[in-house]
Amino acid sequence: MERKIAIVGQAQVNSGDVGMPRERLLFELVKGLFDQLGINRHDIDNYLICSNDFTTGRTISNVFEDSPIGAYLKDETKAEVDGVLATTYAMIRIMSGLYDTSLVVSNCLGASECRPYLVMDYQLNPTYDRQLGILNELSTAALQARCYMDTFGMTEGQLDETAARLLDNAARNPDSLPSNSAVTPGDVAASEYLYEPLRQLHCYPFTDGACALVLASEEKAKELTDTPVWIKGVGDSVETNYLGERDLARSRSTKLAGERAYGMAGITDPAGQIDVAEVTAKFASQEPIITEALGLFPEGSGGDVADKGLANTDGDMPVCPSGGALGAYAFAASGLVRLAECFKQLTGTAGDTQVEGARTALAHGQDGFCAQHNAVMVLSREEV
Amino acid sequence: MSESVVTNVVVPMNFPYNYRVGQYIETYIRGLGEGKILGIKCPSCGKVMVPPRKICGVCDRVMEEWVEVGPEGTVENYTVGHVRLNLGEVERLDTPVLLALIKLDGADSLLAGEVRGIEPEKLGDGLRVRAVFKDPAGDSLSDLEYFEPEK
Repeated sequence: MERKIAIVGQAQVNSGDVGMPRERLLFELVKGLFDQLGINRHDIDNYLICSNDFTTGRTISNVFEDSPIGAYLKDETKAEVDGVLATTYAMIRIMSGLYDTSLVVSNCLGASECRPYLVMDYQLNPTYDRQLGILNELSTAALQARCYMDTFGMTEGQLDETAARLLDNAARNPDSLPSNSAVTPGDVAASEYLYEPLRQLHCYPFTDGACALVLASEEKAKELTDTPVWIKGVGDSVETNYLGERDLARSRSTKLAGERAYGMAGITDPAGQIDVAEVTAKFASQEPIITEALGLFPEGSGGDVADKGLANTDGDMPVCPSGGALGAYAFAASGLVRLAECFKQLTGTAGDTQVEGARTALAHGQDGFCAQHNAVMVLSREEV
Repeated sequence: MSESVVTNVVVPMNFPYNYRVGQYIETYIRGLGEGKILGIKCPSCGKVMVPPRKICGVCDRVMEEWVEVGPEGTVENYTVGHVRLNLGEVERLDTPVLLALIKLDGADSLLAGEVRGIEPEKLGDGLRVRAVFKDPAGDSLSDLEYFEPEK
Protein backbone atom coordinates (compact mmCIF):
# COMPACT_ATOMS: atom_id res chain seq x y z
CA MET A 1 0.00 0.00 0.00
CA GLU A 2 1.32 3.42 -0.92
CA ARG A 3 0.18 5.09 2.28
CA LYS A 4 -0.16 3.38 5.63
CA ILE A 5 -3.64 3.68 7.13
CA ALA A 6 -4.60 2.85 10.71
CA ILE A 7 -7.72 2.56 12.81
CA VAL A 8 -7.12 4.73 15.87
CA GLY A 9 -10.36 4.44 17.83
CA GLN A 10 -13.72 2.72 18.05
CA ALA A 11 -17.03 3.18 19.80
CA GLN A 12 -20.13 1.01 19.58
CA VAL A 13 -23.52 0.44 21.14
CA ASN A 14 -25.77 -2.60 20.78
CA SER A 15 -29.15 -2.78 22.46
CA GLY A 16 -32.47 -4.62 22.35
CA ASP A 17 -34.14 -1.19 22.40
CA VAL A 18 -31.88 1.81 22.54
CA GLY A 19 -34.82 3.98 23.64
CA MET A 20 -33.79 7.17 21.88
CA PRO A 21 -33.96 8.69 18.42
CA ARG A 22 -31.23 7.70 15.99
CA GLU A 23 -29.86 11.25 15.91
CA ARG A 24 -29.21 11.36 19.66
CA LEU A 25 -27.74 7.86 19.57
CA LEU A 26 -25.31 8.90 16.82
CA PHE A 27 -24.42 12.19 18.50
CA GLU A 28 -23.58 10.54 21.81
CA LEU A 29 -21.65 7.73 20.14
CA VAL A 30 -19.48 10.02 18.02
CA LYS A 31 -19.04 12.66 20.73
CA GLY A 32 -17.82 9.91 23.04
CA LEU A 33 -15.31 8.73 20.45
CA PHE A 34 -14.07 12.28 19.77
CA ASP A 35 -13.62 12.87 23.53
CA GLN A 36 -11.77 9.57 23.87
CA LEU A 37 -9.32 10.68 21.14
CA GLY A 38 -9.18 14.31 22.29
CA ILE A 39 -10.38 15.66 18.94
CA ASN A 40 -13.39 17.53 17.60
CA ARG A 41 -15.34 17.46 14.35
CA HIS A 42 -12.93 19.84 12.63
CA ASP A 43 -10.16 17.26 13.02
CA ILE A 44 -12.00 14.90 10.68
CA ASP A 45 -11.29 15.49 6.97
CA ASN A 46 -13.81 13.04 5.56
CA TYR A 47 -17.03 11.55 6.92
CA LEU A 48 -18.37 8.22 5.71
CA ILE A 49 -21.83 6.97 6.65
CA CYS A 50 -22.88 3.37 6.14
CA SER A 51 -26.64 2.99 6.52
CA ASN A 52 -29.51 1.60 4.54
CA ASP A 53 -32.49 3.44 3.07
CA PHE A 54 -34.89 0.58 3.81
CA THR A 55 -33.87 0.24 7.47
CA THR A 56 -34.30 3.97 8.04
CA GLY A 57 -37.47 4.24 5.94
CA ARG A 58 -36.36 7.19 3.89
CA THR A 59 -34.44 7.64 0.70
CA ILE A 60 -30.89 8.83 1.30
CA SER A 61 -30.69 7.38 4.81
CA ASN A 62 -27.77 9.63 5.73
CA VAL A 63 -29.71 12.84 5.21
CA PHE A 64 -30.44 13.32 8.93
CA GLU A 65 -27.34 11.49 10.13
CA ASP A 66 -24.69 13.95 9.00
CA SER A 67 -25.42 16.67 11.57
CA PRO A 68 -25.36 14.49 14.72
CA ILE A 69 -22.01 12.94 13.70
CA GLY A 70 -20.45 16.34 13.02
CA ALA A 71 -20.43 16.11 9.23
CA TYR A 72 -22.50 19.25 8.71
CA LEU A 73 -20.93 21.27 5.87
CA LYS A 74 -18.01 18.81 5.79
CA ASP A 75 -16.84 16.36 3.13
CA GLU A 76 -19.36 13.58 3.65
CA THR A 77 -20.36 10.56 1.61
CA LYS A 78 -22.22 7.30 2.02
CA ALA A 79 -21.63 3.63 1.31
CA GLU A 80 -24.44 1.11 1.76
CA VAL A 81 -24.14 -2.67 2.15
CA ASP A 82 -21.70 -3.15 5.04
CA GLY A 83 -19.26 -1.39 7.34
CA VAL A 84 -16.21 -3.27 6.04
CA LEU A 85 -16.90 -1.88 2.57
CA ALA A 86 -17.47 1.61 3.98
CA THR A 87 -14.17 1.37 5.84
CA THR A 88 -12.47 0.28 2.62
CA TYR A 89 -13.93 3.35 0.94
CA ALA A 90 -12.64 5.60 3.76
CA MET A 91 -9.23 3.95 3.55
CA ILE A 92 -9.04 4.61 -0.19
CA ARG A 93 -9.93 8.27 0.36
CA ILE A 94 -7.05 8.66 2.81
CA MET A 95 -4.74 6.73 0.47
CA SER A 96 -5.54 9.26 -2.25
CA GLY A 97 -3.55 11.80 -0.28
CA LEU A 98 -6.45 14.27 -0.17
CA TYR A 99 -7.42 13.41 3.40
CA ASP A 100 -5.62 12.44 6.61
CA THR A 101 -8.52 11.42 8.83
CA SER A 102 -11.87 9.78 8.27
CA LEU A 103 -14.82 8.94 10.51
CA VAL A 104 -16.86 5.89 9.53
CA VAL A 105 -20.27 5.60 11.18
CA SER A 106 -22.96 2.97 10.74
CA ASN A 107 -26.27 2.29 12.41
CA CYS A 108 -29.55 0.40 12.24
CA LEU A 109 -32.43 0.27 14.71
CA GLY A 110 -33.43 -3.26 13.76
CA ALA A 111 -35.07 -4.05 17.10
CA SER A 112 -37.22 -1.01 17.84
CA GLU A 113 -37.67 0.70 14.48
CA CYS A 114 -37.72 -1.58 11.45
CA ARG A 115 -38.20 -5.25 10.62
CA PRO A 116 -34.95 -6.78 9.38
CA TYR A 117 -36.63 -9.77 7.70
CA LEU A 118 -38.86 -7.40 5.73
CA VAL A 119 -35.84 -5.36 4.65
CA MET A 120 -34.29 -8.59 3.40
CA ASP A 121 -37.47 -9.46 1.47
CA TYR A 122 -36.77 -6.37 -0.59
CA GLN A 123 -33.36 -7.73 -1.55
CA LEU A 124 -35.02 -10.59 -3.43
CA ASN A 125 -35.14 -10.33 -7.20
CA PRO A 126 -38.54 -8.62 -7.62
CA THR A 127 -39.53 -10.18 -10.92
CA TYR A 128 -38.93 -13.79 -9.90
CA ASP A 129 -37.80 -14.82 -6.41
CA ARG A 130 -39.94 -12.31 -4.55
CA GLN A 131 -43.01 -13.32 -6.58
CA LEU A 132 -42.79 -16.93 -5.38
CA GLY A 133 -43.66 -15.96 -1.81
CA ILE A 134 -41.64 -18.82 -0.29
CA LEU A 135 -38.12 -17.40 -0.23
CA ASN A 136 -37.14 -15.12 2.63
CA GLU A 137 -34.08 -14.61 4.80
CA LEU A 138 -34.93 -17.51 7.14
CA SER A 139 -35.94 -20.09 4.53
CA THR A 140 -32.88 -19.39 2.38
CA ALA A 141 -30.56 -19.52 5.41
CA ALA A 142 -32.13 -22.87 6.30
CA LEU A 143 -31.46 -24.21 2.80
CA GLN A 144 -27.85 -23.04 3.07
CA ALA A 145 -27.51 -24.67 6.51
CA ARG A 146 -28.99 -27.94 5.24
CA CYS A 147 -26.71 -27.92 2.22
CA TYR A 148 -23.55 -27.51 4.34
CA MET A 149 -24.66 -30.02 6.98
CA ASP A 150 -25.69 -32.68 4.43
CA THR A 151 -22.58 -32.19 2.31
CA PHE A 152 -20.13 -32.44 5.20
CA GLY A 153 -22.03 -34.43 7.83
CA MET A 154 -22.38 -31.73 10.46
CA THR A 155 -25.11 -32.64 12.95
CA GLU A 156 -27.77 -30.41 14.49
CA GLY A 157 -26.09 -31.04 17.86
CA GLN A 158 -22.84 -29.63 16.49
CA LEU A 159 -24.73 -26.62 15.16
CA ASP A 160 -26.15 -26.14 18.67
CA GLU A 161 -22.61 -26.27 20.08
CA THR A 162 -21.50 -23.57 17.61
CA ALA A 163 -24.39 -21.29 18.58
CA ALA A 164 -23.85 -21.89 22.31
CA ARG A 165 -20.16 -20.99 22.01
CA LEU A 166 -21.04 -17.69 20.30
CA LEU A 167 -23.81 -16.80 22.78
CA ASP A 168 -21.51 -17.69 25.66
CA ASN A 169 -18.85 -15.36 24.21
CA ALA A 170 -21.43 -12.61 23.75
CA ALA A 171 -22.42 -12.85 27.41
CA ARG A 172 -18.84 -11.89 28.32
CA ASN A 173 -18.78 -8.93 25.93
CA PRO A 174 -20.20 -5.71 27.44
CA ASP A 175 -20.53 -4.26 23.91
CA SER A 176 -22.86 -7.04 22.77
CA LEU A 177 -26.59 -7.17 23.59
CA PRO A 178 -27.10 -6.79 27.36
CA SER A 179 -29.76 -9.52 27.25
CA ASN A 180 -27.20 -12.18 26.29
CA SER A 181 -26.56 -14.81 28.91
CA ALA A 182 -24.51 -17.98 28.91
CA VAL A 183 -26.44 -20.81 27.28
CA THR A 184 -25.77 -24.52 26.79
CA PRO A 185 -26.17 -26.48 23.54
CA GLY A 186 -29.24 -27.96 25.24
CA ASP A 187 -30.76 -24.51 25.60
CA VAL A 188 -30.17 -23.93 21.89
CA ALA A 189 -31.77 -27.29 21.04
CA ALA A 190 -34.77 -26.36 23.20
CA SER A 191 -35.44 -23.17 21.23
CA GLU A 192 -38.12 -23.48 18.58
CA TYR A 193 -37.57 -24.46 14.97
CA LEU A 194 -38.15 -21.66 12.48
CA TYR A 195 -37.19 -23.36 9.23
CA GLU A 196 -35.42 -26.69 9.87
CA PRO A 197 -32.61 -27.16 10.73
CA LEU A 198 -32.51 -23.56 12.05
CA ARG A 199 -33.84 -22.86 15.51
CA GLN A 200 -34.42 -19.46 17.09
CA LEU A 201 -31.05 -19.43 18.89
CA HIS A 202 -29.14 -20.22 15.69
CA CYS A 203 -30.27 -16.87 14.28
CA TYR A 204 -29.12 -13.28 14.76
CA PRO A 205 -31.07 -11.23 17.31
CA PHE A 206 -32.89 -8.06 16.28
CA THR A 207 -30.63 -5.24 17.43
CA ASP A 208 -30.55 -1.47 17.74
CA GLY A 209 -26.92 -0.80 17.06
CA ALA A 210 -24.38 1.76 15.94
CA CYS A 211 -20.63 1.80 15.55
CA ALA A 212 -18.00 4.41 14.73
CA LEU A 213 -14.32 4.15 13.79
CA VAL A 214 -11.70 6.82 13.20
CA LEU A 215 -9.16 6.09 10.47
CA ALA A 216 -5.97 8.08 10.01
CA SER A 217 -2.88 8.33 7.86
CA GLU A 218 0.43 7.18 9.36
CA GLU A 219 1.47 10.64 10.64
CA LYS A 220 -1.96 11.46 12.10
CA ALA A 221 -2.38 7.97 13.57
CA LYS A 222 0.81 8.31 15.57
CA GLU A 223 -0.34 11.70 16.87
CA LEU A 224 -3.71 10.33 17.95
CA THR A 225 -2.75 7.06 19.62
CA ASP A 226 0.12 4.91 20.86
CA THR A 227 -1.63 1.79 19.63
CA PRO A 228 -2.64 2.24 15.98
CA VAL A 229 -4.12 -0.82 14.29
CA TRP A 230 -2.87 -0.95 10.72
CA ILE A 231 -5.01 -1.97 7.79
CA LYS A 232 -2.85 -4.49 5.94
CA GLY A 233 -5.18 -5.84 3.30
CA VAL A 234 -8.74 -5.59 1.97
CA GLY A 235 -10.83 -7.58 -0.47
CA ASP A 236 -14.42 -7.98 -1.48
CA SER A 237 -16.41 -10.09 -3.87
CA VAL A 238 -20.04 -10.60 -4.87
CA GLU A 239 -21.62 -13.63 -6.49
CA THR A 240 -24.91 -14.43 -8.23
CA ASN A 241 -28.10 -13.64 -6.34
CA TYR A 242 -29.79 -16.72 -7.78
CA LEU A 243 -29.58 -19.46 -5.14
CA GLY A 244 -30.32 -22.23 -7.61
CA GLU A 245 -26.96 -21.66 -9.28
CA ARG A 246 -24.82 -21.36 -6.15
CA ASP A 247 -22.99 -24.05 -4.21
CA LEU A 248 -24.46 -23.15 -0.83
CA ALA A 249 -22.10 -25.44 1.12
CA ARG A 250 -19.18 -23.20 0.18
CA SER A 251 -18.73 -19.46 -0.25
CA ARG A 252 -16.91 -18.70 -3.46
CA SER A 253 -17.14 -14.93 -2.98
CA THR A 254 -15.77 -15.08 0.58
CA LYS A 255 -12.85 -17.16 -0.71
CA LEU A 256 -12.08 -14.59 -3.41
CA ALA A 257 -12.46 -11.65 -0.99
CA GLY A 258 -10.11 -13.39 1.44
CA GLU A 259 -7.53 -14.15 -1.23
CA ARG A 260 -7.50 -10.49 -2.30
CA ALA A 261 -7.02 -9.30 1.28
CA TYR A 262 -4.37 -11.94 1.99
CA GLY A 263 -2.48 -11.02 -1.18
CA MET A 264 -2.21 -7.38 -0.04
CA ALA A 265 -1.38 -8.31 3.55
CA GLY A 266 1.20 -10.96 2.70
CA ILE A 267 -0.80 -13.70 4.40
CA THR A 268 0.17 -17.09 2.97
CA ASP A 269 -0.97 -19.30 5.87
CA PRO A 270 -4.20 -17.76 7.21
CA ALA A 271 -4.71 -20.20 10.08
CA GLY A 272 -1.10 -19.78 11.16
CA GLN A 273 -0.76 -16.03 10.73
CA ILE A 274 -4.15 -14.77 11.91
CA ASP A 275 -4.56 -14.74 15.69
CA VAL A 276 -8.26 -13.94 15.85
CA ALA A 277 -11.12 -13.67 13.33
CA GLU A 278 -14.34 -11.71 13.66
CA VAL A 279 -16.74 -12.88 10.95
CA THR A 280 -20.34 -11.90 10.24
CA ALA A 281 -22.24 -15.18 10.48
CA LYS A 282 -25.89 -14.11 10.72
CA PHE A 283 -26.77 -17.74 11.40
CA ALA A 284 -24.58 -20.21 13.32
CA SER A 285 -24.55 -22.41 10.22
CA GLN A 286 -22.77 -19.68 8.22
CA GLU A 287 -19.72 -19.66 10.49
CA PRO A 288 -18.10 -22.85 9.15
CA ILE A 289 -18.90 -21.87 5.54
CA ILE A 290 -17.27 -18.44 5.94
CA THR A 291 -14.27 -19.48 8.04
CA GLU A 292 -13.50 -22.38 5.70
CA ALA A 293 -13.69 -20.11 2.65
CA LEU A 294 -11.18 -17.88 4.45
CA GLY A 295 -8.82 -20.83 4.91
CA LEU A 296 -9.01 -20.67 8.71
CA PHE A 297 -10.23 -24.29 8.92
CA PRO A 298 -10.19 -27.21 6.47
CA GLU A 299 -13.25 -27.56 4.23
CA GLY A 300 -16.12 -29.44 5.84
CA SER A 301 -14.67 -29.37 9.36
CA GLY A 302 -17.52 -27.46 11.04
CA GLY A 303 -18.60 -30.44 13.15
CA ASP A 304 -15.07 -31.19 14.23
CA VAL A 305 -14.38 -27.54 15.08
CA ALA A 306 -17.49 -27.50 17.28
CA ASP A 307 -16.70 -30.79 19.05
CA LYS A 308 -13.07 -29.94 19.75
CA GLY A 309 -13.62 -26.28 20.61
CA LEU A 310 -11.07 -25.18 17.98
CA ALA A 311 -12.80 -21.81 17.50
CA ASN A 312 -12.98 -21.07 21.23
CA THR A 313 -11.36 -17.90 22.50
CA ASP A 314 -8.54 -20.06 23.92
CA GLY A 315 -8.66 -22.50 20.99
CA ASP A 316 -6.35 -23.05 18.01
CA MET A 317 -8.11 -20.44 15.83
CA PRO A 318 -10.33 -18.11 17.87
CA VAL A 319 -13.43 -16.99 15.96
CA CYS A 320 -15.78 -14.28 17.20
CA PRO A 321 -14.67 -14.00 20.83
CA SER A 322 -17.14 -11.07 20.85
CA GLY A 323 -20.05 -13.42 20.18
CA GLY A 324 -20.24 -12.22 16.59
CA ALA A 325 -23.55 -11.57 14.88
CA LEU A 326 -25.31 -14.09 17.13
CA GLY A 327 -24.64 -11.75 20.05
CA ALA A 328 -25.80 -8.61 18.24
CA TYR A 329 -26.51 -7.81 14.62
CA ALA A 330 -27.26 -4.32 13.40
CA PHE A 331 -27.85 -4.30 9.65
CA ALA A 332 -24.96 -2.67 7.75
CA ALA A 333 -23.16 -1.85 11.02
CA SER A 334 -22.16 -5.43 11.69
CA GLY A 335 -18.98 -5.33 9.62
CA LEU A 336 -17.95 -2.15 11.40
CA VAL A 337 -18.57 -3.85 14.75
CA ARG A 338 -16.35 -6.74 13.61
CA LEU A 339 -13.59 -4.23 12.86
CA ALA A 340 -14.16 -2.53 16.22
CA GLU A 341 -13.89 -5.89 17.98
CA CYS A 342 -10.63 -6.63 16.12
CA PHE A 343 -9.37 -3.21 17.22
CA LYS A 344 -10.17 -4.12 20.84
CA GLN A 345 -8.35 -7.45 20.47
CA LEU A 346 -5.24 -5.91 18.92
CA THR A 347 -5.03 -3.08 21.46
CA GLY A 348 -5.47 -5.46 24.40
CA THR A 349 -8.73 -3.82 25.46
CA ALA A 350 -11.09 -6.75 24.88
CA GLY A 351 -11.47 -7.52 28.59
CA ASP A 352 -13.03 -10.92 29.29
CA THR A 353 -13.09 -11.74 25.59
CA GLN A 354 -9.39 -11.03 25.02
CA VAL A 355 -7.35 -13.48 22.91
CA GLU A 356 -3.96 -13.48 24.61
CA GLY A 357 -1.20 -11.86 22.58
CA ALA A 358 -3.31 -11.18 19.47
CA ARG A 359 -1.26 -9.21 16.91
CA THR A 360 -3.03 -9.93 13.60
CA ALA A 361 -6.79 -10.09 13.08
CA LEU A 362 -9.33 -10.61 10.32
CA ALA A 363 -12.69 -8.85 10.06
CA HIS A 364 -15.44 -9.98 7.68
CA GLY A 365 -18.70 -8.33 6.67
CA GLN A 366 -21.49 -9.51 4.41
CA ASP A 367 -24.80 -8.64 2.86
CA GLY A 368 -27.38 -10.42 0.75
CA PHE A 369 -29.07 -13.80 0.87
CA CYS A 370 -26.80 -16.61 2.11
CA ALA A 371 -23.87 -14.16 2.27
CA GLN A 372 -23.94 -13.16 -1.39
CA HIS A 373 -21.56 -10.21 -0.94
CA ASN A 374 -18.51 -10.55 1.28
CA ALA A 375 -15.80 -8.15 2.38
CA VAL A 376 -12.63 -8.94 4.29
CA MET A 377 -10.05 -6.78 6.05
CA VAL A 378 -6.75 -7.89 7.62
CA LEU A 379 -5.52 -5.78 10.54
CA SER A 380 -2.30 -5.84 12.48
CA ARG A 381 -0.41 -4.11 15.26
CA GLU A 382 2.75 -4.67 13.21
CA GLU A 383 3.44 -1.52 11.24
CA VAL A 384 5.60 -3.26 8.63
CA MET B 1 -42.34 -3.22 18.18
CA SER B 2 -43.64 -0.63 20.64
CA GLU B 3 -46.46 1.53 19.31
CA SER B 4 -47.05 3.91 22.21
CA VAL B 5 -48.50 7.14 20.86
CA VAL B 6 -46.44 9.19 23.31
CA THR B 7 -42.98 7.93 22.46
CA ASN B 8 -43.27 6.59 18.91
CA VAL B 9 -44.99 7.23 15.65
CA VAL B 10 -45.71 4.35 13.28
CA VAL B 11 -45.12 5.23 9.65
CA PRO B 12 -46.49 2.69 7.16
CA MET B 13 -45.19 2.93 3.63
CA ASN B 14 -46.63 1.46 0.48
CA PHE B 15 -44.63 1.80 -2.69
CA PRO B 16 -46.02 -0.27 -5.59
CA TYR B 17 -43.45 -0.81 -8.35
CA ASN B 18 -44.29 -1.90 -11.85
CA TYR B 19 -41.30 -3.96 -13.00
CA ARG B 20 -40.82 -5.11 -16.58
CA VAL B 21 -39.95 -8.81 -16.34
CA GLY B 22 -38.06 -8.95 -19.64
CA GLN B 23 -38.48 -11.19 -22.67
CA TYR B 24 -36.99 -14.31 -21.06
CA ILE B 25 -39.25 -14.44 -18.00
CA GLU B 26 -42.17 -13.42 -20.24
CA THR B 27 -41.53 -16.48 -22.43
CA TYR B 28 -41.11 -18.62 -19.31
CA ILE B 29 -44.47 -17.45 -17.89
CA ARG B 30 -46.22 -18.08 -21.23
CA GLY B 31 -44.75 -21.59 -21.17
CA LEU B 32 -46.11 -22.22 -17.68
CA GLY B 33 -49.56 -21.27 -18.97
CA GLU B 34 -49.27 -24.17 -21.45
CA GLY B 35 -48.04 -26.56 -18.76
CA LYS B 36 -44.42 -26.40 -19.92
CA ILE B 37 -41.29 -25.42 -17.97
CA LEU B 38 -38.83 -23.73 -20.31
CA GLY B 39 -35.14 -23.49 -19.65
CA ILE B 40 -32.39 -21.91 -21.70
CA LYS B 41 -29.19 -23.59 -22.87
CA CYS B 42 -25.74 -21.99 -22.95
CA PRO B 43 -24.01 -22.48 -26.34
CA SER B 44 -20.65 -22.68 -24.59
CA CYS B 45 -20.95 -24.80 -21.42
CA GLY B 46 -24.16 -26.51 -22.53
CA LYS B 47 -25.82 -26.02 -19.16
CA VAL B 48 -29.58 -25.49 -19.02
CA MET B 49 -30.75 -22.78 -16.61
CA VAL B 50 -34.22 -22.48 -15.10
CA PRO B 51 -35.63 -19.87 -14.74
CA PRO B 52 -34.16 -18.63 -18.02
CA ARG B 53 -32.11 -15.50 -18.55
CA LYS B 54 -30.23 -13.99 -21.41
CA ILE B 55 -26.57 -14.29 -20.43
CA CYS B 56 -24.63 -17.24 -19.01
CA GLY B 57 -22.65 -15.46 -16.32
CA VAL B 58 -19.94 -18.11 -16.26
CA CYS B 59 -19.29 -18.14 -20.03
CA ASP B 60 -20.42 -14.57 -20.78
CA ARG B 61 -22.44 -15.83 -23.74
CA VAL B 62 -25.92 -14.96 -24.99
CA MET B 63 -28.28 -17.91 -24.55
CA GLU B 64 -30.97 -18.41 -27.23
CA GLU B 65 -31.76 -22.13 -27.32
CA TRP B 66 -34.99 -22.83 -25.44
CA VAL B 67 -35.32 -26.31 -23.92
CA GLU B 68 -38.35 -27.86 -22.25
CA VAL B 69 -37.40 -29.37 -18.88
CA GLY B 70 -39.27 -31.39 -16.22
CA PRO B 71 -42.06 -31.41 -15.23
CA GLU B 72 -40.49 -34.16 -13.10
CA GLY B 73 -37.42 -33.56 -11.02
CA THR B 74 -35.42 -34.52 -7.96
CA VAL B 75 -35.24 -32.75 -4.59
CA GLU B 76 -31.66 -31.63 -3.97
CA ASN B 77 -32.17 -29.49 -0.86
CA TYR B 78 -35.15 -28.75 1.37
CA THR B 79 -36.43 -27.14 4.52
CA VAL B 80 -39.51 -27.67 6.68
CA GLY B 81 -40.91 -24.29 7.67
CA HIS B 82 -42.64 -24.00 11.03
CA VAL B 83 -43.21 -20.29 10.56
CA ARG B 84 -44.01 -17.86 7.83
CA LEU B 85 -42.98 -14.25 7.48
CA ASN B 86 -45.81 -11.77 7.10
CA LEU B 87 -44.34 -8.38 6.18
CA GLY B 88 -41.25 -9.39 8.13
CA GLU B 89 -43.10 -10.58 11.23
CA VAL B 90 -42.66 -14.22 12.25
CA GLU B 91 -45.94 -16.12 12.50
CA ARG B 92 -46.04 -19.74 13.67
CA LEU B 93 -47.82 -22.25 11.44
CA ASP B 94 -50.07 -25.08 12.59
CA THR B 95 -49.16 -27.10 9.49
CA PRO B 96 -45.53 -26.90 8.32
CA VAL B 97 -44.77 -25.63 4.83
CA LEU B 98 -42.30 -27.67 2.76
CA LEU B 99 -39.82 -25.86 0.55
CA ALA B 100 -37.35 -27.54 -1.80
CA LEU B 101 -34.68 -26.76 -4.35
CA ILE B 102 -35.47 -29.09 -7.23
CA LYS B 103 -33.31 -30.23 -10.14
CA LEU B 104 -35.80 -30.63 -12.96
CA ASP B 105 -35.05 -33.40 -15.44
CA GLY B 106 -32.96 -31.84 -18.20
CA ALA B 107 -31.93 -28.76 -16.16
CA ASP B 108 -28.61 -27.96 -14.48
CA SER B 109 -29.74 -25.26 -12.04
CA LEU B 110 -32.11 -25.70 -9.11
CA LEU B 111 -35.63 -24.30 -8.99
CA ALA B 112 -37.23 -23.31 -5.69
CA GLY B 113 -40.72 -24.66 -5.11
CA GLU B 114 -43.25 -25.65 -2.50
CA VAL B 115 -43.88 -29.38 -2.07
CA ARG B 116 -47.35 -30.56 -1.05
CA GLY B 117 -48.97 -33.92 -0.52
CA ILE B 118 -46.25 -35.52 1.61
CA GLU B 119 -45.46 -35.84 5.32
CA PRO B 120 -42.61 -33.51 6.38
CA GLU B 121 -40.48 -36.43 7.59
CA LYS B 122 -40.70 -38.06 4.14
CA LEU B 123 -39.30 -34.99 2.39
CA GLY B 124 -35.61 -35.52 1.67
CA ASP B 125 -32.83 -35.29 -0.86
CA GLY B 126 -33.46 -37.58 -3.82
CA LEU B 127 -37.26 -37.48 -3.56
CA ARG B 128 -38.83 -37.51 -7.04
CA VAL B 129 -41.44 -34.80 -7.56
CA ARG B 130 -43.64 -33.50 -10.35
CA ALA B 131 -44.85 -29.97 -11.09
CA VAL B 132 -48.54 -29.20 -10.69
CA PHE B 133 -49.86 -26.36 -12.86
CA LYS B 134 -52.73 -24.03 -12.12
CA ASP B 135 -55.86 -24.66 -14.17
CA PRO B 136 -56.95 -22.35 -15.64
CA ALA B 137 -53.65 -20.54 -16.06
CA GLY B 138 -53.40 -16.94 -14.93
CA ASP B 139 -50.39 -15.62 -16.85
CA SER B 140 -48.18 -15.43 -13.78
CA LEU B 141 -45.29 -17.29 -12.15
CA SER B 142 -47.79 -18.95 -9.83
CA ASP B 143 -49.10 -20.95 -12.82
CA LEU B 144 -46.47 -23.42 -11.61
CA GLU B 145 -48.41 -23.84 -8.39
CA TYR B 146 -46.44 -26.46 -6.42
CA PHE B 147 -44.71 -29.84 -6.65
CA GLU B 148 -46.07 -33.20 -5.48
CA PRO B 149 -44.40 -36.60 -5.10
CA GLU B 150 -44.13 -38.42 -8.43
CA LYS B 151 -46.74 -41.15 -8.62
